[in-house]
This record gives sequence, C-alpha cells and structure tokens, in this order.
Amino acid sequence: MTHEILAGTGARRLADRRIAGWRALFHRSENVVLSAALGAMAVLPVAEIILRTAFGFGIPGSAGIVQHLTLWVGMLGAAIAAREARLLSLSTGAALLKGPWKAAAGVFSGSTAAAVAALLGIASVQFVQTERDSGNVFIGNVPLWTVQLILPIGFFAVAFRLWRHSSYTRRGRAVAALLVGAVLYLVARPPVDPQHLVVPAFIALLLATALGAPVFTALGGAALILFWGEEVPIASIPVETYRLTVSPTLPTIPLFTLAGYFFAEGGASKRLVRVFQALAGWVRGGPAIATALVCAFFTSFTGASGVTILALGGLLMPVLLQSRYSERTSLGLLTACGSLGLLFPPSLPVILYGIVSHTPIDRMFLGGFLPGILMLLIVAWWGAREGARSGVAPSKFDAGEAWRAIREAKWELVLPLIVLIGLYGGFATLVEAAALTALYAFVVETFVYRDLTIRKDAPRVMSECGILVGGVLLILGVALGLTNYLIDAQVPARGVAWVRTTISSPLVFLFLLNLFLLVVGCLMDIFSAIVVVVPLIAPMGEAFGIDPVHLGIIFLANMELGYLTPPVGMNLFLSSYRFQKPLMEVCRAVVPWLLVLLGGVLIITYVPVLTTALPAWLGR
Amino acid sequence: PDPEVVLKMGTTAPEGSSWHQIFKEMGEKWRQAPGGGVVLRIYPGGVLGDEPDLVRKMRVGQIQAAALTAAGLSDIDKSVAALQIPMMFRSYGELDYVRERLRPTLEKRLEEKGFVVLNWGDAGWVMFFAKEPFTTPDDLKKMKLFAWAGDNDAIEIWKAAGFQPVPLPSTEILTGLQTGLINAFDTTPLAALSSQWFALAPHMLDLKWAPLVGATVVTRKAWEKVPREARPALLKSAEEAGQRLRVDIRQANDKAIEAMKTRGLKVLPVTPAVEAAWQRAAESVHPRIRGTIVPAPVFDEVKRLRDEFRATGGKTAGG
Ligand code: NA
Ligand code: NA
Repeated sequence: MTHEILAGTGARRLADRRIAGWRALFHRSENVVLSAALGAMAVLPVAEIILRTAFGFGIPGSAGIVQHLTLWVGMLGAAIAAREARLLSLSTGAALLKGPWKAAAGVFSGSTAAAVAALLGIASVQFVQTERDSGNVFIGNVPLWTVQLILPIGFFAVAFRLWRHSSYTRRGRAVAALLVGAVLYLVARPPVDPQHLVVPAFIALLLATALGAPVFTALGGAALILFWGEEVPIASIPVETYRLTVSPTLPTIPLFTLAGYFFAEGGASKRLVRVFQALAGWVRGGPAIATALVCAFFTSFTGASGVTILALGGLLMPVLLQSRYSERTSLGLLTACGSLGLLFPPSLPVILYGIVSHTPIDRMFLGGFLPGILMLLIVAWWGAREGARSGVAPSKFDAGEAWRAIREAKWELVLPLIVLIGLYGGFATLVEAAALTALYAFVVETFVYRDLTIRKDAPRVMSECGILVGGVLLILGVALGLTNYLIDAQVPARGVAWVRTTISSPLVFLFLLNLFLLVVGCLMDIFSAIVVVVPLIAPMGEAFGIDPVHLGIIFLANMELGYLTPPVGMNLFLSSYRFQKPLMEVCRAVVPWLLVLLGGVLIITYVPVLTTALPAWLGR
Repeated sequence: PDPEVVLKMGTTAPEGSSWHQIFKEMGEKWRQAPGGGVVLRIYPGGVLGDEPDLVRKMRVGQIQAAALTAAGLSDIDKSVAALQIPMMFRSYGELDYVRERLRPTLEKRLEEKGFVVLNWGDAGWVMFFAKEPFTTPDDLKKMKLFAWAGDNDAIEIWKAAGFQPVPLPSTEILTGLQTGLINAFDTTPLAALSSQWFALAPHMLDLKWAPLVGATVVTRKAWEKVPREARPALLKSAEEAGQRLRVDIRQANDKAIEAMKTRGLKVLPVTPAVEAAWQRAAESVHPRIRGTIVPAPVFDEVKRLRDEFRATGGKTAGG
C-alpha cells in the first residue's frame, strides 16, 4: 500500500498494469536494473565493513561506486515513476475541471512538464559533453562521462513519458508534441531578448503547476527560466543535480528508505502497534500516547516520506475509535503523528539538512533528540487530555501481553541499536550504517518473520522504493539547480547584508525566521525546502551567532508543522487519501494539533539549551 | 559606467579570510583597468561547491574563474600535483625555486586544457595530526588515517605504502575522530585550526610532509573576451595579490600553530633519524606517484630542479 505515497493524479498500481509484448518486457527489465542497483548499494558498503574490519583492506573505489549508484537509482527511479504517472504533483487543479477543459488542462500541463524535462535533458547532454572533453576517469579505464550518461537518458525518458501521459487520445498527444516543439524552438531562437520572456514563461509554468504538472518541473522550470533569462548556460542545472546525487553522504537516503520499505511492507506495523498498545494503551488517554509513540518510532525509519500514515493509519484508526475517541480527534491525531519522529535518527530530513548545510550529521541527531522528545510529549499529552475528556475508561496493564508483544517484535525493536552502534561505535561510516540497516531489515522481514518472499516480494518492494527515491531525488536535484541560480545571483549574500542592517536583535531575527519558515512550510515540501531555503538562512543564522545545530533543528521543527499546513501539506493529502475524508475536514481536525505543535516550535526556538545540551555533553 | 565584462570567481577559501580581502582589493584594481575594466564577482566559502564542482562550473560556463588548490587543479591537469609530492621539498625556498622554473610548463599544460593562470599561491605545509603521540612512519601505520573519499589513486598509494587509509567525506572527519573510525589525518595547521579537527587529535608531528599549493585560473574563453589592453594590468595586479597572499598565509600558518598550542596542541619534535625514516617511506612510493598522480616527465623535472637547487647551495634560502 505504501507505494502510493507519491502518487500523482493518474496513479495506477505497478502490478495492476496489463500491457503486453516487448513493452512489458522492457518495463520489467527497467525494474530489474533498478532493484539490482539498489541491492548493490546495500551490499557493497557492508562488504567494505567486513573486509576492513577482518582483513584491513577495502574494495578499491567502492565509495565512488555507491555514490554513482545513487545517481543511477535516482534517474532510473524517476524514469519509472514517470512511466507509472507517479511523479509527485502538489495540485490536482485539473481534477476540478470537466470534459474538454479537463483534457485541455492535461495537454497543457503535460506538455509544459515534458518540455521542461526535455530541456533538462538537453542541458545534461551539454554537461556530459564538457565532462567527456575533460577526460575525467571513473574507475580504471572507464571514463566518467559514460556513467553520467544516465542523466540525459533519465531526463529524456521522463520527458517522453510525461508527453505520453498528457493525453489518452491521439489528437491530444499530437497537440502536446507540437507545444513541446514550440517551447524548445522558442528557447533555442528567442524572437526577443530572453530577459523579456521571463515573466510570461513564469506565468505559464505556474499555471501548468496548478493544473497538475509535477513538482520537479516547477522547480526545474524556474531554474531554467532564470538561467536562460540571464544567458547563463542551462548546463549549470545538471551540474548541481550531479553534484547532489553523488555527494558522499547522500546514499544514506535510498538505503534508509529501503530499510523503511522492508519494514513497512513486512508485518512491522502490526507488531509495533501491538507493542506500544500493550505498553501504553492501558492508562487514561493511553491509546493516543501509544499512537504518538509508534508513529514517532516508525517515522524516524521511513524518513518522514509519509509512509507512516499509510502504513499505520488503517491499524490505529479502529483502535482509537474503539477507545471512544471522536472521529475528529482521531483524524487530527493520526494526521499530526505522520511526521512526529522527524527529528530522531536516522530521519532523512535531518541527514539532508546536514549534507546541505555542512553540519556534522551526528551532532544534528544529538541536537534533535530532546526537541523530538518535546514534540512527542506535546502530542501525547494533548491526546491523553482529549482521551480523558471523552471519558475513556482505562483498561488494566497486562504484563503477559506486553512481554509476548515485545518478544514477537524484538527484531524490529532493536533496529535503532544497529543505527546507533553504526553511527557512534566507530566501525562504520554513515553510509555503511545505512547499508547495514537496509540489509538487516531485508533479512529480518524475509528470513526471520517470513512476511516477504525473496522471489516475489523483495524485488517488488525494492522497485517501489526505487520509484519513491527517484521521485524525491529528481525534485532535490533540480531544486539544487534553482538554489544554484539564487547563489549565482548573490541572493544569500544580499539577504545577509539586508538582515544585518535592518535587524539587530537575535531574538527578533528568530521570531521573523519562524514566521518566514511557517510560510515556507505552507508552500514547499520539506525536502525541496531544505535544498532551496537552507543556503539562504544558514549565513544569516551565522551572522546572528546562532548555533548551526540549533538553527537546523528550528528549521526542521518548523517544517514538521509544514506537513500540516495547506496548501502544500503532505500529511493532509495522505490523510485525506487514506481515511477517505474531504481535505477540508482533515484541515479542520488538525487545527488544535497544529496549535500545540506551534507552541513546541516556539519552545525549541527560544530555549536553545534544549538543542545544544546533548551535543555539548556527548559531543566530545 | 560599469564595465561590460563580468568574471565570476569561486573558491572554497572562507568569507572574510585574508584571501577574500586581498582578492576584493584586486577586484577594485581590475575595475579600473584600461579599456573599460572588468567586474570581478567573488563567491567565497565554497557556496558554489567544492573544487571539483568549481571546475565543472567553469567548464559549462556558469563561472569564469576559480582560486583552486592542487585538488581542483589536478582535475584540469595532473601536472600541478608535482608541486606537492610528499617529502620532495624541505623548505619554501626549494618550493619557490622549483615552481618559478616549472611555471612555463605547468601554465602551458593548463592553457592547452582551456585555462589561463592568473597567479600561484600556497596554503602552508601539510602536517600529520593524531589522537595519540607518534613519531615514526611505523607508528602512523598502526593508526587509521583519514583519506579523501573519491581520491582513489592516493588511497591505493597509502595502502601500498602500508598505511590504513579510511576514505571519508570531510564532513565526517569530526565524527570519525570522535568514534574512532579514524584517529589521524594530514592537513595544514591553518585548516586544522579553523576546522577544529586538532581538538580531537592534539598531536602534531613537526614534519613538513608536503606543501599545499594552489593557483587562480580563468577560462581561456572568458579571458579572450577581456579587452586586450586590460589584460596586462589584470595579470599584474593578480600577480601582486598572489605575492601578498603567499607572505600572509605563510605567517598565518605559524600563528595557527601557536594558537593551537595555547589550546592544548602538542608539537612532536622530529630528529634527523626520524626525518630520514619519513624520507624513505615517502620515496618508496615515489615510483607509484610518478605516472599515476603526477605525469612522469613533470615528476622528473621537479626532481631535477630540486636537486639543482640543493647542489647550488640554495640552503641559505630556506623558509
Ligand atoms: Na504545508
Ligand atoms: Na510542507
């Protein structure tokens, strides 16, 4: 069920597709290559740990191989996500329209998106050409550019598939093809100075996004328009996509996501719900506390990608309703809990923040621990209070049941230990710890619990994970292209200068930062926000002498609220989808939770010691 | 009126550092150069990425210039690494002598790859730092030594020499030192101080392992757009900036050692016998460096020039 997380408007299940002949064969082999690349990413670093610890040597160039496998997984996953019409869109504007208007909207947004992807493909060709001229070598005699070829191939595949999905009629596709051609021609031979076309181009892009064009085309399109308007080569965008996807720590993202997927698609959800229910469900308001605990535990592993609501929502909703929580409270609680473990290791936003801001990731995790506990306590407290008000009678603690539940779930409950030992034990790098976790999750779910079969389930889970990762990396890669433009235009430097002259007090700065981040959280998803916004605020934080870890946790805590704020609130969409409730109803239900969490964010912001105490104490 | 030609220059040197200051002043002179001048827009602190990223951005044409160390310059042409062969030079005097004579060769090779050199510089001597006291190469061989992830040639050479390199991204060095994944690294005193790595590895061997050299380059394509009459003036102020910077950074490294000492750094002395042992350890891998990390003819030329300097009694020019 989890693979619908990033479902676009035309979501269809991978397994349900009935297509015949060579195309089916091609699709299947695409999936196999993706799963194989992901599998190799998990196996190589673990082999490296074993060889280094036992024999004192490693596999030559293995880190580089794993980094470039991330690039391949990202681009292949993106191509497959486009094939399945499952690239993340933030708006379903076209769904409000009817008949021919709906078809026209599809053609317009589809062809705009395809044109953006095709231009990114052309930019990638230019980038790969300069790499070929440079003569850089990957490993041995393999030139680097041959490995980088996946960039243009991926973008062109995405473009082709966006075009195919733009319409289901031959005529619609013909119109879309003409539109794509017209855009490409206009870019190559602008009739007037490109500078004058920037605004109309932005309007078209905004309209296409509102009508359902994927997120990555909004960000990538913006970067393309801005660079093109200033006549800076558009190859500057894929340079950044490449830089991000091969950065040394990024492989942790697909690897922890893979662990989360094995976890979610195995029976971990029901075992964990049973444990936390047995431990906390018996006190007054206990079901809400148990819900908060299990969601936080689950989210930290699944990387705040929304898997929590989809995987646990169906199990927890009946528990809450049975305990006489009102439907509205239950809905609000489960929606709010969907991103609750965001600050705990090995949560992906924390890792990505560390990568983008060059903050040591272990310090980020230490810093986020107490603030994460605070957010957890706030939700649990509010939930317990609601439970007490609805007069739920407490049951009795059943030690036997608790013991049996823990014994059953013990292999999953010790997973945090693997990550922590890997991170803080000194025998593995972060990437190696992530690979170990993925491999462990695979072994536990297939061989110990036997919830997944090796031949059928494991490849399916791996390609599902690859599709999710590809969709996310595609967004991040082009978002970094947009950031690159902002830096090129010296926006952060000017911002710092402006803020320095207008604001003198760090407290005022923090307050304005919270306001600004609330708006960002309303408009952007957490991953793009990290990539685009962090380079803007990090130098400002530095200018006001704010501890970089504290700034990071403030940022992430604000983004945790962003999951719950319209118009772009991932948890709202997922909850509405999972519980079959109108979006408005979910929004109303989530308001009280949003307010208490906002209180938490303010405490985190103005009580820095909450964040800085642990890194200072354990950091040496 | 603002000059028409804009040169965007990236570097990983920190914002507000003496490097940044000196280059800003150079930019002011460039603006007043004959023929309308040139605007220099500086992107310090690695905001545009690490050195390989800066080279890529110059190649695609997003930026036109960069101040690089040999790490980035080697991505353009491997010959520059010849100036930081381990234990090749004993003093700045030797380095300066060899570099001045090797410049035409290096600049010609970079020019063939599409880059014009504006000035040369260095960032100090690379020294070894470790958690525990150590003196000989054999002591260090027992430790887990940080190596740049992706620098495969260097990693293989460390291994061949009997060391235990652990490839890591630089962002994981602090963590690695804390957890024991690594317990030694090599870098300049200035970098050890500014990154705070020395606090976790407070033993520094007083051995000049290799100089860290650098250069400022501009793409040939952009250089040809600079008004012809402005070019000599630009080169002159760049050369001056390079010289000022060299003096400045060499002093800054000495000051960095003093600053670290007051915060607990122990400088481990090196006897002539120990230095000879390091010399042997380095020279045992010279044949492997020659032809892989450094092109063979350039390697031989460096060695010849160095020996020439030593033979003509250049010892008085030590640094
Ligand atoms: Na939001
Ligand atoms: Na959001």
